[in-house]
Amino acid sequence: MRIPHEAAAAAMKIPFTHADWLAVLPVGAVAVAALVVLVADLFNTGRDQRYLSVGIGLAGTIVAAILAARQFGHSHDAFFGGFITGGFATVFQEIILIALAGSLVLYGGIGPAQRVAGMTAIMLWSACGAMLMAGAANLLMIFLGLELLSLGLYALCGAVDRKAARESALKYLILSSTATSFLLFGSALLFGATGSVLLADLVHPWLTFNPLFWIGAGMFLIGIVFKLSLVPFHTWTPDVFEGAPLPVTAFMSVATKAGVLAVFARFIYAALPSGVAERLLLPVWVVAGISMIVGNVGMLAQHDLKRLLGYSGIAQVGYILVALAGVTPLGLRYAIYYLTAYAFMNLGAFAVAAAISGEDEEGAHLSAYRGLARRRPWLAAAMTVFLLALAGLPPTAGFLGKILILATSASTGYLWLAALLIVGTAISLYAYVKVIRAMYGRDEREVPNLHPLVPLAWASAAICAVLVVAIAFYPVMPSNILPLVR
Amino acid sequence: MPIVLVTVLLPIVAGALLLVLPREDRTISRGLGTLVAAATIVTLLAGGHAEWSFRWLSRPFVAAFHFGATPFSLWIALLLTVVTMCAIAACRVPRLRDFVALMLFLEGTMLGLFLARDLLVFALFWDLMLIPVFFGLIGWGEHPATAWRYFIYNFAGGLTLLLATAAFGVIYGSTDVIGRSGAHFAGGWAEWIYAGFAFAFLVKTPVWPLHTWMPPTYSGLPSSMVSVVSAVQSKAGLYGFIAIALALMPQEVAQYAGPLMVLGAISLIYGALVALVQNDAKRIVAYSSLSHLGLIIIAIASGNALAIKGALVYIVAHGLFSAALFQVLGYVEEREETRSLLRLGGLGWQNPRLAGALCIAALAALGLPGLAGFAGELVILIGVYQAGYVWAVIVALVAIVLAAAYLIRLYQDIMNGPETDDVPVRPDLTWVEGLAVTPLLAALIIIGVYPTPLLRP
Repeated sequence: MRIPHEAAAAAMKIPFTHADWLAVLPVGAVAVAALVVLVADLFNTGRDQRYLSVGIGLAGTIVAAILAARQFGHSHDAFFGGFITGGFATVFQEIILIALAGSLVLYGGIGPAQRVAGMTAIMLWSACGAMLMAGAANLLMIFLGLELLSLGLYALCGAVDRKAARESALKYLILSSTATSFLLFGSALLFGATGSVLLADLVHPWLTFNPLFWIGAGMFLIGIVFKLSLVPFHTWTPDVFEGAPLPVTAFMSVATKAGVLAVFARFIYAALPSGVAERLLLPVWVVAGISMIVGNVGMLAQHDLKRLLGYSGIAQVGYILVALAGVTPLGLRYAIYYLTAYAFMNLGAFAVAAAISGEDEEGAHLSAYRGLARRRPWLAAAMTVFLLALAGLPPTAGFLGKILILATSASTGYLWLAALLIVGTAISLYAYVKVIRAMYGRDEREVPNLHPLVPLAWASAAICAVLVVAIAFYPVMPSNILPLVR
Repeated sequence: MPIVLVTVLLPIVAGALLLVLPREDRTISRGLGTLVAAATIVTLLAGGHAEWSFRWLSRPFVAAFHFGATPFSLWIALLLTVVTMCAIAACRVPRLRDFVALMLFLEGTMLGLFLARDLLVFALFWDLMLIPVFFGLIGWGEHPATAWRYFIYNFAGGLTLLLATAAFGVIYGSTDVIGRSGAHFAGGWAEWIYAGFAFAFLVKTPVWPLHTWMPPTYSGLPSSMVSVVSAVQSKAGLYGFIAIALALMPQEVAQYAGPLMVLGAISLIYGALVALVQNDAKRIVAYSSLSHLGLIIIAIASGNALAIKGALVYIVAHGLFSAALFQVLGYVEEREETRSLLRLGGLGWQNPRLAGALCIAALAALGLPGLAGFAGELVILIGVYQAGYVWAVIVALVAIVLAAAYLIRLYQDIMNGPETDDVPVRPDLTWVEGLAVTPLLAALIIIGVYPTPLLRP
């Protein structure tokens, strides 16, 4: 009689099992790596602290990537359905870890020399937040992940002594908090409507008649759209991207998108009652369509690479949402494929920018690319690959991704979205190819001083370029990522 | 490794390897480039017809890297390799190594296009072949704005091609369909898909009113690149019409044959009239291209089997004589540093070989019997007449008379007449330059006398 009683008492104290903790082990690995970075920094008196911090961070990232990969195919509901491991979460976590590794490398290459350990640790913890979002299956876990991600990013945006960086941090803080409050209030209303925080409990047909559910879901989606920086909530993105340090921009542009898209995908695929999705999500698809146009038009007049990629990101998220429109399993796979491709091409473009930058980030200005093909032919070739990929031209993954997205929209009947995608792509060409032209053109005007090449960033750009081309010909797409909730 | 794959990859890989050479090695890069292009002729003839396939996608539709020449595409691919070889052998531009690499890349992408048996691969190479020309325009062209116009026009076409291909794949289930007998496509969206294909093909050919990118592009590019672009790249659209649109959706082509034929007829007359009044020698040939390709569009629109056969002969003939014309005009421009008919004159006295080369090319272009242009025109006209489009035949005959007028004017203003004082006297064709146009001129004569092999497929 005593033994069950004791077991019950133990269960009262620690309600989570061993398996629950195993589920968040990849996240834990990254979080612990951040602590190690901080502790190691205490004992490091050497001149260059950058490489130690970044090295530990990268090691933690690799360990986490291996741990996450081992979870693929082993679906497990941890924390009473709050966090679900398995295919879907693994894929998004790997994308986030790729973004983290890429940004850490850039940080090692050109990041500011001071306060490196702290910044590295914050970036790692930020990534933890995004990884939690990848597996989050209840409203609280979503909020927890989002806040962990965002809080870190606020600090990272202001991590250099520049007026633009401080402005960027403040802008991001205020606008992102607004978005979070929408999301939180929406979550509260959803809880009010269902009495549960689990996404799985939203799948009840009778919710269709509950106005609380509609308002809650609407506000939740507004928060998501805000975080994805779709029109009309997009104006902050270019400013924040421009002001933040280059490695942080690289991280933000991929990891935030991956985390929020994971939440969005799980919400629309798994949590909406039948018959609701088409009506509730139509505004989202409309917004995605407008974003493809506005983002691409916005790129045309930019002179700063980070701003350009900020606007580009607005449009690229639009493309990914086109794949999700129609809520088909294949669409989800193609969205993930495109997101992966986007991660590589975006990180690659930032790596090229970093490779020709010094501490002042000269590579962020488009004037730095004038005549780059003569000074740095291989780097210019890599940049060409990334720009072609972003524009959706062959022989890159961007081309195949666009084809797959177009095919999805053709099969689900969202042809108007496909048409907007085509128009948006046609507009975007000018902006991307303008950079290519600057690199290969015969403009003999004065170019800014040439910095010694940053080898880490160079290597990162090379890897990304090879991958962007390779996955166009060997498309890797995870197959067993469904079901998303139970 | 299958030979057909080697044929496609060899120029691309060789072009990339060429960039490792030291920048100053002009003769070596030109010689290597010519050799590679010649090698592709050999591999094409040796194993271009043997198919090779590798699965690319299985969902949402089946797509494969499927290459292999059909009898029809083999001729165009052969034209491409020969023209590229001649163009590289003759080219003389600054930064030669990079230029030759670009030409090889252009050849490889177009070989991929013509040898592709899969629509998606076709669309991939379609977009890919625009890139080297764009680089040619920004690196060696006369005006940067031309590069934009070329790129935006053609890529807009590429995007509609892409959308149509995706829709085709989703509805039909496979894009691995080029040259497969009995693959007929009919579905609810067939008209729209055809519209997507047709737009891309019409921009690339080009036809009036989508041609405005073409004259500045053709006159702005270095002559060795434009000879490849006008000879072969412009045929991508016509090849698409015949091998894809006519083969896969004949009903839609027939349904909209009227508008297509009208567009072809307008291009035919409009191009000829504008060519009559131009003073820029390269622009005359550019507009003559618009006119000549309008005739092929008419042949395709007629849907007549004989006319389609004639279209192949004329595709090859036009490729040969436009490449030869551009190449010879390139020699003229290089020597005299101008290509304005107002300033040129009397070159023929000093340069008999140059004059002879221009003469043969121009005569072939105006359709003199015994040369390749005539054989193609004649078969097309008979076919179109058989199909019952008498008005189109009459329009074409008017255009052929106009062609004689502007081509003779071109020849006379450059080679005949009094020698002008302000152009320097330069030596006649060197033997390398002569060798570089000889294959083109010889082929014009051979096909003019004996076009039968081309009429067989």
